[in-house]
Amino acid sequence: MIGRRWLWLVAGLTTIIGAMGVAWLLTAGQDAALLPFLRRDYTWQTIQERGVWRVGLDPSFPPFEMLDETGEPVGYDVDLAHALAATWGVRAEIVAVGFDSLPDTLKARKIDSIVSAYPYDERLTGDFRFSAPYFDAGLRIAVPRDSSIRTLTDLTGRQVGVEWGSVGDMMGRRLQREGMTMTLKSFETPDQMISALLDTQQVEAIFVDNVSLRQAQGAGLPLRGVDAPLESVPYVIVMPHQADTLQARVADSLQLLQERGVLRELEERWFGARTAEEQSQ
Amino acid sequence: MLRNQRRLLLGLFLGLAVVLTGVWVARLMLPATPLGPQQTVYTNNPKMGIHTRLTDEVEEQKIKRSLEMVREMGAPWVVEYFPWAYIEGERGRYNWVHADQVVAHASRQGLTLIARLGFVPTWARPKDTTPLYLDEENFDDFARFVALFVERYRGKVNYVILWNEPNLALEWGYAAPDAAKYTALLRAAYPLIKAAAPEVQVLAGALAPTLAPPGSEFGVDDLVFLQAMYDAGAAAYFDVLAIHAYGWHFDPDSPPDPAVVNFRRAELLREIMVRNGDAAKPAIITEGGWNDHPRWTRAVRPAQRIAYTLRAYDIAQQEWPWLDALCLWVFRFPWDQNSYQDYFTFVRTDFEPKPIYTEVQRYARASTP
Repeated sequence: MIGRRWLWLVAGLTTIIGAMGVAWLLTAGQDAALLPFLRRDYTWQTIQERGVWRVGLDPSFPPFEMLDETGEPVGYDVDLAHALAATWGVRAEIVAVGFDSLPDTLKARKIDSIVSAYPYDERLTGDFRFSAPYFDAGLRIAVPRDSSIRTLTDLTGRQVGVEWGSVGDMMGRRLQREGMTMTLKSFETPDQMISALLDTQQVEAIFVDNVSLRQAQGAGLPLRGVDAPLESVPYVIVMPHQADTLQARVADSLQLLQERGVLRELEERWFGARTAEEQSQ
Repeated sequence: MLRNQRRLLLGLFLGLAVVLTGVWVARLMLPATPLGPQQTVYTNNPKMGIHTRLTDEVEEQKIKRSLEMVREMGAPWVVEYFPWAYIEGERGRYNWVHADQVVAHASRQGLTLIARLGFVPTWARPKDTTPLYLDEENFDDFARFVALFVERYRGKVNYVILWNEPNLALEWGYAAPDAAKYTALLRAAYPLIKAAAPEVQVLAGALAPTLAPPGSEFGVDDLVFLQAMYDAGAAAYFDVLAIHAYGWHFDPDSPPDPAVVNFRRAELLREIMVRNGDAAKPAIITEGGWNDHPRWTRAVRPAQRIAYTLRAYDIAQQEWPWLDALCLWVFRFPWDQNSYQDYFTFVRTDFEPKPIYTEVQRYARASTP
């Protein structure tokens, strides 16, 4: 009698757990973590079927993305998208979307990915998948190419230029509050700040975002970035949350492009070459 | 043996219950974030203000710190949003806890608080509408809530803004913006406010500066909308015009032009007030300012943002006697918006002051104690 009761109990529990599992599988859809073999990445599947990877970007941020004189999107991200698509044997189709609308456009499946100098956002990891960073736009210390300054601590007692009101200005003030003895000099524009460093030597180093630094280097100015970024702003590729296969393919292809030197070529094309010392950092 | 085990279990259960009850009682008895001593705002420019964003700030300590920092910056005025739906989530049942905290800390910091009221609870609007949707048949519900609000905070909140940017469809839950309908809202609320607290100043307008063409589904030109409000008889139902004055990429001295959204567009709204016999009424800018996002098309460089902001406070003080306060958007967000909105702020979410905060503080507190 007791044995039969146990049998019913075990059978009942098994049925309940089984039903819960099925319900969870149905409701969790492609995100069902315990049954990866049942998951399908529809984004990747659709890209393969149509032979087109729809990439959203806001063409208003040179040199990453802008419009040329014919109105065509060009820039680092555009080239990166084409290079990635080529590794999968498909074509990248660029869709112009306002920067603030990019996440919603991706959620609405109007595009397959965002490649638009998009900073990594930890709060969105529940909604999207991200690639590894392909560019860090964060805050750098920049010095003249022949400067003896190598690290942040070398700035002690020095004159440091910042763009008034910028993140660099905020960082400089923070370092001063924390006890670093350097003198900050404010300039109204990044150009004035760089000129004060290279032309008039009013300052011995500057705090500048890496995009401006690389653009200045690309323009042939003898500037060198030193030490790690004071504040990191990694740019990443954004994909739908269900697109685990696409995420893996992007990771593989970024690695491949890195190994083939394509990423370096892209950076040099849009920003100019880096010094050997910087490449080793 | 079994009996002893039962006793042991019962004892453990009772012990746990006693401990949990003790923790609960202790928590109830513990003081909330202390208000601290009464403070005074020291400033060279008594018209300086800022819009805080404490609506979703759940930690009282952070509410207090935000308002402390506003006071320390030298701004005597703050605008804060009090969503109706947060307070009266169910008809007739009120949760004033968060609002009480904001009002108490603002008052203790010596700040003049302007309360923006709006955001409709689900019970006061049809199903499948957004929290900004309100039918005329529910205007009395809103009016009753506003009257309760001013009564509760009498002596601590002397200014209320009714609704926000009523010339935008978005701000009416995508219903067509209608100056006559907005005037009807003012007409419903104004007498109840005055009956509850006659000294409270009712701010109306808070119009979005927009160049929407006639017939646009998104909004109505703010200059057109204000005149339509006067035509509908709104003048009798507000005491102060609330103005939104964004500079976009123009400097604060760019001349006013009906075809341009810039800071001095406020002067055009003022002209409409005067033309309609409302010259004696003051105005308050309850949103405005500049943004220094690196890629937003309406942004300026960080240095320009600082210079324009300081100049705007000067204009308010020296050139616009009809303006009582200039409250810029926005002091701080509880968390990063990860959009251009983050570049309107004066301090980061972790309370680190941005350079604009320090520069405004330097401007406001030069030669003050």
